[in-house]
Amino acid sequence: MDLRETEEQRAVRADYAQWLSDFLPADYYDKYADYRWDYELRKAYQLASFEAGWLQPAWPREHGGRALGPLEALTVRLESAMRAAPKLPNIQGVGVVAPGLRSFGTSEQQERHLVPVLRGDEWWALGMSEPGAGSDFAGLRTRAVRDGDRYVVNGQKIWTTQAHESRFATLYVRTDPDAPKHRGISCLILDMESPGVTTRPIRMATITDETFCEVFLDDVEIPVTSVLGAENEGWKVAMSSLDHERDMIWVMNWVEISRGVREVQKRGDSLDDHQLVELGRRMADAEALRMTGYRSLTSSLRGDRSKEFFILKLLGSESLQRTWELAATVAGADGLADGALAFERHDALAATLYGGTSEVQRNIIGERVLGLPKG
Amino acid sequence: MDVGFSEGQLELRAAVRDVLAKECPPALVRSCLDDSEAWRPLWQRAVDLGWTGLALLDDDNGMGVIELIAVLEELGAAAAPVPLLSSAGLAAGALRAAGPAAAEWQQELADGAVGALCVDTSPGSLDASRADLLVVIAGGELSVVRPGAGVVLAPLDAVDPSRPMARVTVETDASTEVVLPVSVPAALAIPLTATAAELVGLATRVLDIAVAHAGTREQFDRVIGSFQGIKHRLADGYVAIERARGLTYAAAMLAADPDADRVDAWRAAALAKAAAGDAATETTRAGVQVLGALGMTWEHDMHLYLRRAWQLSPLLGDSAALYRDAASSLVGAR
Repeated sequence: MDLRETEEQRAVRADYAQWLSDFLPADYYDKYADYRWDYELRKAYQLASFEAGWLQPAWPREHGGRALGPLEALTVRLESAMRAAPKLPNIQGVGVVAPGLRSFGTSEQQERHLVPVLRGDEWWALGMSEPGAGSDFAGLRTRAVRDGDRYVVNGQKIWTTQAHESRFATLYVRTDPDAPKHRGISCLILDMESPGVTTRPIRMATITDETFCEVFLDDVEIPVTSVLGAENEGWKVAMSSLDHERDMIWVMNWVEISRGVREVQKRGDSLDDHQLVELGRRMADAEALRMTGYRSLTSSLRGDRSKEFFILKLLGSESLQRTWELAATVAGADGLADGALAFERHDALAATLYGGTSEVQRNIIGERVLGLPKG
Repeated sequence: MDVGFSEGQLELRAAVRDVLAKECPPALVRSCLDDSEAWRPLWQRAVDLGWTGLALLDDDNGMGVIELIAVLEELGAAAAPVPLLSSAGLAAGALRAAGPAAAEWQQELADGAVGALCVDTSPGSLDASRADLLVVIAGGELSVVRPGAGVVLAPLDAVDPSRPMARVTVETDASTEVVLPVSVPAALAIPLTATAAELVGLATRVLDIAVAHAGTREQFDRVIGSFQGIKHRLADGYVAIERARGLTYAAAMLAADPDADRVDAWRAAALAKAAAGDAATETTRAGVQVLGALGMTWEHDMHLYLRRAWQLSPLLGDSAALYRDAASSLVGAR
């Protein structure tokens, strides 16, 4: 066990840091609150990272990487987080869809879709939740009926983030209504421009760049070549997709917790004992997340199934909310008129929902880690 | 960077676990609640097996801080009533900060002498009444003192008599062997980390017991662990434990790294101990709740772990104080 960076980690971190500082505008950190909403900068960042091989550092050059080892790749992700690098504008494209295409896609699908999603030229939505299937994802009812070389799809998706801005979606549909509910699901690649697709954004309670949508599907025709993974094996694709999503989320949470902790530290002189205790707890959360991420990686590099992985999403999202609660408490009356702070506090409430709610995470830990029976 | 135990460390841990499974059943812990000498045979075994060699904290010999926490996790899980935490973790851990000048006493502890650490911020000194030598930290100095004339031990009637606590007063006529200058944060890094490791081990065992009960006990025609009220509480216990375990490993790695900043190492240790105290008190409370009325009885072993958790949690500062101090140090360092 050794916390010290390897030579490779140090070198790669320095390279990335240099590249990032060359890329960012000189006043980036002074005006972070403004740049956070600067889509042009964020798009440019994605494209530049793709071209420089920092986007998915463990992947080969043609897929936005530089073939780094998993440890070095995680080092880059955390460094990027620590330096508050611009957030990818369609983060699920790079973090969830692209890994899914690499794991389950045919060579034609990879050829067609990987580079555009990684460059940010084509955005993707995740068509999972439905009005009657939220946490109970396997209860989805959107139906795909095979008709020759195509499926005809009818149904509705909801809470589909950025669907109105997306060119494609991974659409989970029921292809075998007679199979047990986990077994009859397939994942289709939906071209959002197909006839019969209607997308309606949902007004959000706060300013956001991750707007939910309703997506209505009326006799939408999707070629059978657009199945991602095998027919009726969509559950596997979904579970893998959720693992990628949680792997992405804990790093995002860690960034935001670290930033919140720094916000609170800025007001260090005015903190009372109780607030200092809370600050200490959040510092511990942030470091525990980072360590758990490394422990999980170490386990998987050794070929063991990582049990620790399952706490990352729950710990990160719960801590994120507490961090911004603390920041709001510490800001006191000043905080009431601080729109940026109100946004952070509000935005953090989504963290315990997306990627599987905290309640679902506790079920997963209870059942898959502790071995307790399903309810 | 590698955040996992090596083969050798895993073997050491498994060996310790095997010995404790056979020779440290809950019945032994129980007997130590009212028999102040019942710990000695197991201690002799620990000495014979070389566990006290951890007092040297010699990374080159494969007995460094990482091995120390691996072994102490197992002792915590068994609620072992022996003073290995006190000797190898607290006393020897503090001595290490005094450098080579303290080697003589570290060797004595490695050979099986019982050591205890006395710090004025702690509510009492663990295993002081069993100690052959006392390491006292006060006013930026570390001194090694022999119990006897000039050393007043006032036993605390604390919640866990299987590892007694005492308040120690050192008077001017005490037999002090050496006085060395020491940085207090540096001296406390390993003691805090070692205590965290025992608490993490203890919490892990408590969760296992609670999960086993929740997986077999039936009510309303169902196993109670299938109810979310129970399942989620146990899941939260697991999160608290792994949070503390990660912090404990981080603290151990910083403590083992001679190039690490001493304040960083102390801060990591303080956070680890705070988190481990939280994990142990939360899981023992959840454990009693899941066991139901059984958890309140003398017959069930849960109270042995509960006593240990409550005794160790305030040691060297309770969780709130440690979180506060760690945060203050960072705010102050801006």
